[in-house]
Amino acid sequence: MAPPRNIAFILEEFGADTPAQHLLDRFLIGYPRDGEFHRPDDWQVHVWLALGVPDQELFRRTQDFPLERHQTVESAAAAADAIVFVPRQIAAPELLESVLQSAAKDSPVFAHGALAETAEEASRLAAQAAERNILLAAGTPLSVTWRLPEIAPPAAALTDAVIVAQGPFPLAELHALDGLLPLLERRTGGDRAVRRVQHFKGARLWGLVDGPRRRLLAAALSCSDSPQGDPVRDGRTQDLLGLNLLPKLAANPRAWQIDHADGLRSTIFVLDGVVADFNLAIKRTDGSLLYAQLFRPPPPQRHEFSRLAATIEQFFRERRPPWSPDRALLTSKLLGMFAAAQ
Amino acid sequence: MIRRTRRQFLASAAAAGCAATFLPGCAQPHPPLSPTPSRRPRVAIIATVVRKYSHAQHFVDRFLEGYGWHGEHHHPPMDLVSMYVDQFPRNDLARERSARHHVPIYPTIAEALTLGGSKLAVDGVLIIGEHGNYPKNDKGQTLYPRYKFFKEVVAVFDSSGRSVPVFNDKHLSTDWDQCVEMVQDSRRLGFPFMAGSSLPVTWRLPALEFAPDTPLRESVCVCYGGIDSYDFHGIETAQCMSERRAGGEVGIKSVLSRRGPAVCDLLDQHPTTRRLVFAALSRSSTLAPTRPGYTGWMPDPDWLRQNSKGFVAYFIEHRDGFRTTVLLLNGLVFDFTYAGSIARPRQTASCQMYLPMPPGRTTLADFFNPLVNHVEQMILSGVAPYPIERTLLTSGMTLAAVESLHRGQAVETPQMAVTYNAPRHSTFWNA
Repeated sequence: MAPPRNIAFILEEFGADTPAQHLLDRFLIGYPRDGEFHRPDDWQVHVWLALGVPDQELFRRTQDFPLERHQTVESAAAAADAIVFVPRQIAAPELLESVLQSAAKDSPVFAHGALAETAEEASRLAAQAAERNILLAAGTPLSVTWRLPEIAPPAAALTDAVIVAQGPFPLAELHALDGLLPLLERRTGGDRAVRRVQHFKGARLWGLVDGPRRRLLAAALSCSDSPQGDPVRDGRTQDLLGLNLLPKLAANPRAWQIDHADGLRSTIFVLDGVVADFNLAIKRTDGSLLYAQLFRPPPPQRHEFSRLAATIEQFFRERRPPWSPDRALLTSKLLGMFAAAQ
Repeated sequence: MIRRTRRQFLASAAAAGCAATFLPGCAQPHPPLSPTPSRRPRVAIIATVVRKYSHAQHFVDRFLEGYGWHGEHHHPPMDLVSMYVDQFPRNDLARERSARHHVPIYPTIAEALTLGGSKLAVDGVLIIGEHGNYPKNDKGQTLYPRYKFFKEVVAVFDSSGRSVPVFNDKHLSTDWDQCVEMVQDSRRLGFPFMAGSSLPVTWRLPALEFAPDTPLRESVCVCYGGIDSYDFHGIETAQCMSERRAGGEVGIKSVLSRRGPAVCDLLDQHPTTRRLVFAALSRSSTLAPTRPGYTGWMPDPDWLRQNSKGFVAYFIEHRDGFRTTVLLLNGLVFDFTYAGSIARPRQTASCQMYLPMPPGRTTLADFFNPLVNHVEQMILSGVAPYPIERTLLTSGMTLAAVESLHRGQAVETPQMAVTYNAPRHSTFWNA
């Protein structure tokens, strides 16, 4: 099958520093990839933007580039043989359903964010895509960004995983899952199903910190370059966990404990006010730890989107999804379980 | 902990003396050291100023509070027991740290090293002569008292008949003869001497390292900042990669510095170098969005020239024909990137030396973590992690580049025939 030549962006919003802008611009202008500036100039780019949202920035691009703007989702999707879908929130399953209905058979479709916020909706979308032989993938830059240090997904049995994130619900949770799940997928042994999700807040949450996960939380926090509190005031390299400062610093903290069927226990800590970056730690059955910061390069360029654009481009050219469809289903399922557990 | 006896000190000092005066490229004699594990090593910090985000604050706090390292909040296995601080501005933090952690600030360097006694009483010394209010000379160099501090440290070593490992932050001095003298002193007294900046040891994106004896032909660093300050970081960025080339480092022959559009004129004459500049730029996270309404744009030579008003570039020729180019693209980038040209197989390798720089991007300058950790290891082992010749040469490159800017012409550097081999193992932060 010939590689796709027409790519459609189906967008619910378009403004400076939105995921839509970062992804569309990279297919119009180019982006740094593997040590050079890469121009994907063999694409004809089509776009549909939801009605009633500001479009002056998109208009600028139609003037500067051979960007074809469409009045309907159906028109844009029908013109393309590959589609990037970027919702305003973390998911827009009804609009994605329209995209899948209009997309050409056998075409690849990438959805920024999650497929849906429940397992049922995500399964329905996946089934719809499969029916039309559409290759469907979803994710955010957190799944492909640099890790400091450069750890690879361990092909070993795992007992515990911890990630520290920030932000509102469910965006922080989506980012945490996108950062963590890729590192858990290659683990050996056992059933990958999720057995239980528990929600923690208040004193119960700090009980989690004092349990066996303390070492992992310490490892994750050791990767942070952005501790809050006294370090902001005078630059000191304070041990926030060792000095028991987390309860004092955290604003409305929440945590999610995920019990996987194979015995792995993953914990997401959303700790606004403690650190301002995403950090994780994973424990193997032999007791050894892996730990890393998920690097988010600074604005305005935010080159984690260059990594995601490269992933999408490769997906489209090779017609091979960048990761298992099960990841998107699991993410949606967990987001639904989080919402139900609150 | 490693400590040398008076007899060992005299023996190595005599041996260094027999080896005649400083000869660039001589192997640094390893002092005969004996372990004394009975107590935690004691460290003194000699600083120009300790205020928020001064270099000394980064070092002092990492010894007092610990820092994130290899999956834990690491506390150095040694004690900061004394400080000498030269200046106390209104935003001073030295006195607060001293009071809270019970670390005395002594009025002289000698007292900081002897803890108020008559003999050297510490096991390691850090000289952090960066930041503070010091005069500039007519070339724009800030006259930090690093040499003066160092000589006062050496005077205590001499009078005590004993020496300990010394770390000097950034370049050695603004005078070549003083730089050489500092290295000579370390050889004469046989103490491990480590110097330089964080750039060689910080994260690399991707984690690029050249194998020893890589057939490297040319190095380029693209960075930002002022002369005699961040230019040194750019030079160290390039040199920590270049020194792994086949044949090792052999020193430099000349340096030509240019400002503004003249930088682009020279790049036009060297298309290979220009290609490396763009390879390095492709690793930048901060490339300026110069087109209204866009967060990024594809750079090209015309764009470079249009924005070249604030550029400064150093074109350095090594004695073996190797070329190093350091470009301060002020206004266009705010990070440090590297690209190198490899002969066989013919390829370009590039990376960013990532600095999590506060206050814009982070709250901590954690690129000091690997630097402090190397200092700790040196104090524990008695072995510097990389040759002091690297910093001698990068100090010389900086001096010659500033001189060339000042004179407006190329500067020949026959005195900088500094030869050395890089350590075979990697020393940057990758775990």
